[in-house]
Amino acid sequence: MKLSKYLKNNFLNLVLSMVVIVIINLMLISFKTNNQAIIGINFILIVGLIIHIIYDFERRKKFYNKFLNDLDLLDQKYLITEMIEKPNFYDGEILYDSLYEIDKSMAEKIKEYSLSIQDFKEYIEMWIHEVKLPLASINLMLHNHKELSDKKIVEQLKRIDDDVEQVLYYVRSENAEKDYLIKETELNKVISNVAMKNKDILLENNINFEVEVGNKKVLTDSKWLEFIVNQIVSNSIKYIRSGVEHYIKITAEENNKSVILKIYDNGIGIEKSDLNKVFNKTFTGNNGRKVETSTGMGLYIAKQLCKKLGHKITIDSKESEFTEASILFNKNDFFEVRKKSK
Amino acid sequence: MKKILIIEDDTSISSELKDLLDNAGYEGIIIKDFESSFEEIKKENPDLILLDINIPKLNGEMLLQKIRKESNVPIIMVTSKNTEADEVLSMSYGADDYITKPYNPTILLLRINNIFKRMENKNDVLTYNDLTLDPKKGIIKNGKEEFILTKNEMIIFIFLLSNRGNIVTRDDLMTDLWNNDSYINDNALNVNISRLRTKLKDFGYEDAIETRKGQGYILK
Repeated sequence: MKLSKYLKNNFLNLVLSMVVIVIINLMLISFKTNNQAIIGINFILIVGLIIHIIYDFERRKKFYNKFLNDLDLLDQKYLITEMIEKPNFYDGEILYDSLYEIDKSMAEKIKEYSLSIQDFKEYIEMWIHEVKLPLASINLMLHNHKELSDKKIVEQLKRIDDDVEQVLYYVRSENAEKDYLIKETELNKVISNVAMKNKDILLENNINFEVEVGNKKVLTDSKWLEFIVNQIVSNSIKYIRSGVEHYIKITAEENNKSVILKIYDNGIGIEKSDLNKVFNKTFTGNNGRKVETSTGMGLYIAKQLCKKLGHKITIDSKESEFTEASILFNKNDFFEVRKKSK
Repeated sequence: MKKILIIEDDTSISSELKDLLDNAGYEGIIIKDFESSFEEIKKENPDLILLDINIPKLNGEMLLQKIRKESNVPIIMVTSKNTEADEVLSMSYGADDYITKPYNPTILLLRINNIFKRMENKNDVLTYNDLTLDPKKGIIKNGKEEFILTKNEMIIFIFLLSNRGNIVTRDDLMTDLWNNDSYINDNALNVNISRLRTKLKDFGYEDAIETRKGQGYILK
């Protein structure tokens, strides 16, 4: 808060005070008051005015400087009412009370929305569990009644299941609350589940599936990782390149700081200009236009989940040659130490 | 015949599950009254229980805890709840396995079979007529001769052997191989079967593995 601006703001007040002082002087002169008394009175008037200005300026400065400073420091600006003290001047009090009211009503509104998002999320999760029942039922029916069974039906069922899972993980990835559980997980197990899920479509398309990850373990949520790896493998299957023997190769590297899981395919690859956009929401790019079922959500969700779990996911590719996705898992020293001390 | 209890409130799933188990040579029993599920379990005295988590009255996790207080009967949780937390919780309550819906029916049967195998804790030596099979060493032999079976040949032979006399589809064989982390393709399966046939022929069992066109294989 600057004094010059404050004075400018109170210009009318000052002019009025000056006019009053001039009138008092005129009256004193016309009453033939003794000169010394006039000087004394003027001294008191002017000093009084200055003291008043300084006092008023200082208490405002104290409040507003703290207010602006705190506001600047705060990440969530609406928390300002928790930081400042109620000022001791009238308009300040009004401001303070109003801010408090505004904040309260905004907090209520936010609460309302977050509850309704929470409700929606719960409903989606419940719905997904519900829709899995008929899926399980049809799977069993097709197995029990081989005469009904057809590779095409099984494939379409898998598509439904994949799409449903995508919704589930989208909801989970967008949600602020922590609904994952990090524990030591064998990469082999996760990959085995993904392989089994995609077995029919891999065999149908003559894609060789090679896995060399040894018995490496990582700290992750196995269900989330399974979804992430499934997204990548599904893409590899979707974008195979004709004229070559297709393969997907999964390997893992380990050093003392991290484990890197690599999923390599010799598919159509990604154009250089598209490469840094593949994790963008709803980005489909040139490849997406070649395949009907591209939503541009799979890798976006995979990236969001990785962020939450603390893994780093990257994709490297060369058009008409290969695509390689890498997921980096940090080793947790604390976890290692605890394991050793057991 | 092994008795398997199905605790599942979706009637379509439970009746298909019963068919699946019956066809696989087990006796599937469906629990209908969830009010007294615990008493019914005690009455039926099953060899294994397939337990859903989302069942009416006492939920699956609570029922699991209650059963574990009195019995060590193997329990596989079969559920559409697919979070890590649900699985960890169920396993800590003493479930033997955890499968999420929708599942591959062949995998469910393999898991059931695994649990029974683990329980019986046989010394792992299987026999086919005068041949004995040692999966750990990867060896097949009779009194005179001994051959090495590769991992894939061993998986295929054990699967055929445990379904001896019944038709085994290529898909079932593939599922079992992939379930054991052998991600082989159709050609490799053909090669493995023909190599297995050659080895059996050397023991004098020509045509032991018969091809049923359009259906699969059968071990005589």
